[in-house]
Amino acid sequence: MDPVLQEIYKTVFSGAPYVLAAYIAILVGLFAYVTFMLLRVTKLEKQVDLLQSTIERRSAKS
Amino acid sequence: MERAVSDRPKISSWRQFSAILRKDIVAELRTFEMITSMGLYILLTLVVYYLAISQASGEFDVREISAGLLWLAFIFTSLLGLNRSLVHEKDQGVLEAILLSPIDRPVLFAAKAVGNFIFIGIVELLSLPLFYLFILQGKPIEGPWYLLIPPLLLGTIGIAGVGTLLATMSVNTKGRDVILAVMFVPIMFPLLYAAVAATSAVIAPGPEGMGPYLPAMAIAAVYDGIMLLGAYSLYEFIVCA
Amino acid sequence: MTDKQSMRVSPNWLVFSLLGASAVLLLVDFVLAFFVAPLQPGAQVYMNGQPVSALINGVAISNQLLFSQKIFYFHVPIAIGSFLIFTFAMVYSVLFLLRRDKVYDTRARIGMEVTLVLVLLTLITGDLWTRHDWGAWWVWEPRLTTYFILFLLVVSYFVLRGAVEDEERKATYAAVFGIVAWVDVPISFVITRLVPSGVHPVVLRSGGIEFIQLLPFLLGLVGMVCFSWVLYQLRLREEFARERVEVLKTELEG
Repeated sequence: MDPVLQEIYKTVFSGAPYVLAAYIAILVGLFAYVTFMLLRVTKLEKQVDLLQSTIERRSAKS
Repeated sequence: MERAVSDRPKISSWRQFSAILRKDIVAELRTFEMITSMGLYILLTLVVYYLAISQASGEFDVREISAGLLWLAFIFTSLLGLNRSLVHEKDQGVLEAILLSPIDRPVLFAAKAVGNFIFIGIVELLSLPLFYLFILQGKPIEGPWYLLIPPLLLGTIGIAGVGTLLATMSVNTKGRDVILAVMFVPIMFPLLYAAVAATSAVIAPGPEGMGPYLPAMAIAAVYDGIMLLGAYSLYEFIVCA
Repeated sequence: MTDKQSMRVSPNWLVFSLLGASAVLLLVDFVLAFFVAPLQPGAQVYMNGQPVSALINGVAISNQLLFSQKIFYFHVPIAIGSFLIFTFAMVYSVLFLLRRDKVYDTRARIGMEVTLVLVLLTLITGDLWTRHDWGAWWVWEPRLTTYFILFLLVVSYFVLRGAVEDEERKATYAAVFGIVAWVDVPISFVITRLVPSGVHPVVLRSGGIEFIQLLPFLLGLVGMVCFSWVLYQLRLREEFARERVEVLKTELEG
């Protein structure tokens, strides 16, 4: 490779792992948080529905 | 409720203020507890600083970091004092008693903050000659000494004002002094930075000389203004909670 | 109770369409940043003491090309997002003190949680950049320092919450502390303008930005704001659902 080009691109290859790692950290961080959130919300809202229907059934019985 | 209060003759804010301040000063004069404990603490801090300085090489000029050391001692000492001043009130039910009386909450804040300012200020003044003796060890202060007064004043005003607000919160928490430190140090950081920069410009001016002094003082003044206004208006929520 | 204005949460379709929109925006940001935006020119290249240049795609390039500048397209949007969300949480803290409605406290607390996530991500990405470009894992520089203080303040907010037992008092203290702590946001934002350090450039003011560099940045910013809003809404719904479960449970028992 041309030594001038090598000099021009010097930091590109050494920098790539750090930039990549930073990008992955963001993606993993944000998506892990949002999935976690979604899972918990659906679980809780299911619980609310269950409790609600139990109460309704009970009041219908009495 | 509204009527009952307005029927009574209104006590002027100044009299409320001086009554609380006088109470704090009289209580302190009786035991000297706050000043003695803070004074001893700052003395011990200076002694411990010696450990670090004693390991430095001969060319090391302690003046370059002495402003930081000075404010470090001040900030942790005032942490101790602020905590003390409100723990007493809380444990002996003084705060509740004050709140039962028809005293305006902002006035209460002003009186407590001024009281703390006086006690912290006294300890700082007492410790300055000791600092000169133990840490600077006779090395001269480069700039005119009276320029040290503005940063000391602005720094202490900020410490007392914000500290009174935060300490009133922390006495009602589980970890008291730890919680106070955790809240107080990051909040005070900008002011501390400005105060250290200005003090350092006086004790050992860098290549820029007194250049950083005025900007640092301006930052400290703006910070104090905003924070005191904030603390003054938010104090009511804290004591009523 | 549920139809109270302060308890209102956004409908499902809005949350999911904004989640989708933010994903698309962040993806476009990614593509533009890495494949379209030119590499930032850095220091002049010298060989044997002489400035040299090489032809790349028919253009003479005489500066080093900096790959690490790519971080600008996602690190900065997250940082600005954290400032915005903190401000949002601070506004709810003020509303809580004025109206004494517990829901505002919940909103402020959740805003602070999302702030904490964004602040952590900013610190991590910024730190990786620091390691590469300045060769150290940590550098005490005005923006870094004030931002780190911001992180400590957000952490202390939760420490304070954990240390107060009474619910009403906890909410009040947290609101007051949130407002006082917020002061660090404008400080951290303007510090690079007050104390020039040369490492966090004032990009928009110095005018040294081309449209093709500005576009992915703005897309990333809008994407990040949408994303944080989705996070906030999801957390809010979880909190309300949890309260509802408690209410229903006591109803069932009683």
